[in-house]
Amino acid sequence: MTTLNINGVNHTVNVPDPNMPLLWVIRDIVGLTGTKYGCGIEICGACTVLIDGSAERSCNIGVSEAVGRKITTIEGLSADGVSHPLQKAWIQLQVPQCGYCQSGMIMAAMENFPGGDGSGISNVCVCGTYQRIKAAIVLANTL
Amino acid sequence: MPEVLDLEESVSTITVSAEQEAVPAASNASSGTTRRTFIASATGGFMLQFCLPGLSRVALAVGAPAPTQVNSYIQIGADNSITVLFGGCELGQGSMSGLAQLVAEELIVDWAAVKSVSAPPSAISYITGGSSAIRTNYLPLRQAGAAVRTMLIQAAANTWKVPVSECVASKGIVTHTPTKRTLGYGALAPAAAKLTPPANPTLIADANLKLIGKPMRRLDIPDKVNGRAIYGIDVRIPNMVFAAVKHCPSLGGTVAKLPANGNGITYVNLGNAVAAVANNTYSALAAVGAGGDNGGGGGANFQWNIPASAAQINSALYATQATSLMATGKAVNAELIGNPATSIKTATTTLTSTYTFPYLAHACMEVLNCTVNLTATTCEIWAPTQASGWVQATAAAITGLPLAAITVHTTLLGGGLGRKIEQDYIAQAVTIAKAIKKPVKLTWPREEDFGRDQYRPMVVSKVQGGLDAKHNIVAWENRIVTPSILAQRGWIAAGAEDGQATEAATGLPYAMLSRSVDFVVHPATVPIGFWRSVGCSFNSYVSESFIDELAHAAGIDPYTYRRTLLANNPRFLAVLDAAAQLGGWTTALPAGHARGIAISEAFGTVVAEVVEISGATATGLKVVKVSCAVDCGRVINPDSVTAQMQGGIVHGLSSVLWGHITFTNGAASVRNFNNYRLVRMADMPQINVKILSNTNAPTGAGEPGVPPLGPALANAYFRATGIRVRNLPFFPAASKMSDG
Repeated sequence: MTTLNINGVNHTVNVPDPNMPLLWVIRDIVGLTGTKYGCGIEICGACTVLIDGSAERSCNIGVSEAVGRKITTIEGLSADGVSHPLQKAWIQLQVPQCGYCQSGMIMAAMENFPGGDGSGISNVCVCGTYQRIKAAIVLANTL
Repeated sequence: MPEVLDLEESVSTITVSAEQEAVPAASNASSGTTRRTFIASATGGFMLQFCLPGLSRVALAVGAPAPTQVNSYIQIGADNSITVLFGGCELGQGSMSGLAQLVAEELIVDWAAVKSVSAPPSAISYITGGSSAIRTNYLPLRQAGAAVRTMLIQAAANTWKVPVSECVASKGIVTHTPTKRTLGYGALAPAAAKLTPPANPTLIADANLKLIGKPMRRLDIPDKVNGRAIYGIDVRIPNMVFAAVKHCPSLGGTVAKLPANGNGITYVNLGNAVAAVANNTYSALAAVGAGGDNGGGGGANFQWNIPASAAQINSALYATQATSLMATGKAVNAELIGNPATSIKTATTTLTSTYTFPYLAHACMEVLNCTVNLTATTCEIWAPTQASGWVQATAAAITGLPLAAITVHTTLLGGGLGRKIEQDYIAQAVTIAKAIKKPVKLTWPREEDFGRDQYRPMVVSKVQGGLDAKHNIVAWENRIVTPSILAQRGWIAAGAEDGQATEAATGLPYAMLSRSVDFVVHPATVPIGFWRSVGCSFNSYVSESFIDELAHAAGIDPYTYRRTLLANNPRFLAVLDAAAQLGGWTTALPAGHARGIAISEAFGTVVAEVVEISGATATGLKVVKVSCAVDCGRVINPDSVTAQMQGGIVHGLSSVLWGHITFTNGAASVRNFNNYRLVRMADMPQINVKILSNTNAPTGAGEPGVPPLGPALANAYFRATGIRVRNLPFFPAASKMSDG
């Protein structure tokens, strides 16, 4: 059994394959599906989570590397799902289109929050919402 | 018994004529009377059931009749809840909210009171595509909303035994004005359900519109910032197993031998692919070798029959074929105005240019996936799909079950872009469920999503233009060689004109004495499909680049030259002027900067874009600013239109700068994002959008932002470097993407 601290809660889970990346443990075993699969090779950033405050692409991180560290996923930003300043700004500026990459975008923004303008984010958004993401990060810094 | 009323006169002319324009060859399928029926029932309080004509031109191209069955609903709950259920889907374009906005307007309720969800499919159902959601459903939905409001008011008047004229509806409450008595919509629902829907409900007058034209917040967005939004890939059902797929490395190949089952993996033969079934997604992906930088492998356990014909699926060979077809291939004429062959002889200046375009991938962020629960008598499917009715038909064909036994749940789509109209991934999931007799979710590895896309087709397009001494265009001859999406699917005869291959090459807005557009079908067998803006994605690049070439030959500023040629086209002229003004066309540029301009019409919408670049070299450039003006008729949600223009511009930019897929021995050159670069934050220009609002019928928004970007960029690049980009993409050597 493996114990992971996700969003402040310890989850003790049976990981069937020791090679299973953190992404799939979070999605399939723990059952938090806000973190997305996009490429599986750490390029697109849809799977971004915070590990001890650092934005990491979870699709290629072995689950053993995450044991004993604080993992934060999109579900952990606020209890009501809309009250974190980044969430408020994202809604106010109507950032998402299809929305699939947005969990990863918000978690990438979390790394430096509050602060920054998102210019260092290298995640992919096929819908092309980058301009609004930047504006929302700047706005969130003031909320 | 529900009350049924035919609204024969309920005009869907907006719909039908728009579609006819898009697909002339298929218009007969829908040109008769479109019957619209409102059915009232007491389902869940009060439900109005009706049929929306959201039949995309894809369906029209197949010759499918317009939908006649109920595919959409407005429901008023006893708890005053208002739910609108549409036959379409939400793939990021915001139309599920835009459509709900129309209903909320006519119901005279607060925006916050309305919920919007996808409806279960009817047999011949709504297809989301062709930038059609608002433009085809605008009037029918307003009529439906107005019918419900009328019935609720009537129900109140009946309850109070007072004239309807003394009752008014507002914010979900009907008030009897003289006595100030009130009844909520929920309380009125049961009585309203017993009334006959009105034949001609009165729409809210323009002057009284409160929601239409306002930037209402989209209903789907809150759940997209907290992980609660459920896409197809997030679906979980009890006792589900997890499958991933690996196709034969070469198109046309088949499975020779399945790997042996073991280590918790069961393999299923899908003909041209193997599915690995496991008890979690990762194990299934690992079994098919996903995740390597080179796109899988999965080892020697997979054995394939690769036919000799796979060697013919080769981009170098295709280029040779296309050159030959350009020279001597049999053409179908798509447009002929005047006599260009004669007129070209009167020209004092002639120019000829040939442009080439590569195959492109859709690259939706959410890979293809589908979840199926199949029993002896029922089949339940959860899928991110643009065509739920086709999903039902696909499952019926494989399972042998009647359509009524097949339930389709349309989930949110993590991008669709035309790819999720297709049925391949649906058929695979149903086939796996049938083979293993367990509920299953199929997830395609990213490598398969790129490797087995149904690509934007390759194109070679040649234009010859002739100018007289006054720079008038006396002849314009365009010959387009490209595979036909519709012919490849057998939806039109081989060699017939494919209107989607020539769209935006025909019907050019500019004054020309003569013009011909010829289409030569290229029988390449790479599977092709509908990519955002379809034929406009390449044809507008050709026409708007070539107009620029003519302007340069004439020695006239390209904006001024376009203005002259559009003198009798006020709609285009207004959009062109708005973009030029927004982009500061006549203002001085910083050193090293250059601008280009382009304009095009797609799906009834006219868009002009001015692109400003800096630092252009033979190997790269920086896009500084894109200024976009759009006329899409009446705007329901201006912020959604702006978002679609912003998104279309980014999509267009990625595709022309770096997008290309080649084939060798039937295998695609791209297997993951590392070889398919897309615009990211650091590449972003400032995008400004101006909407030219008016009260004309709404036209498309999802796709029309794409086509002008490429030529506007090419025109700016020419201004900066003297290099005319005629072979796409601009910078193929820069198309790798790393994780930084």
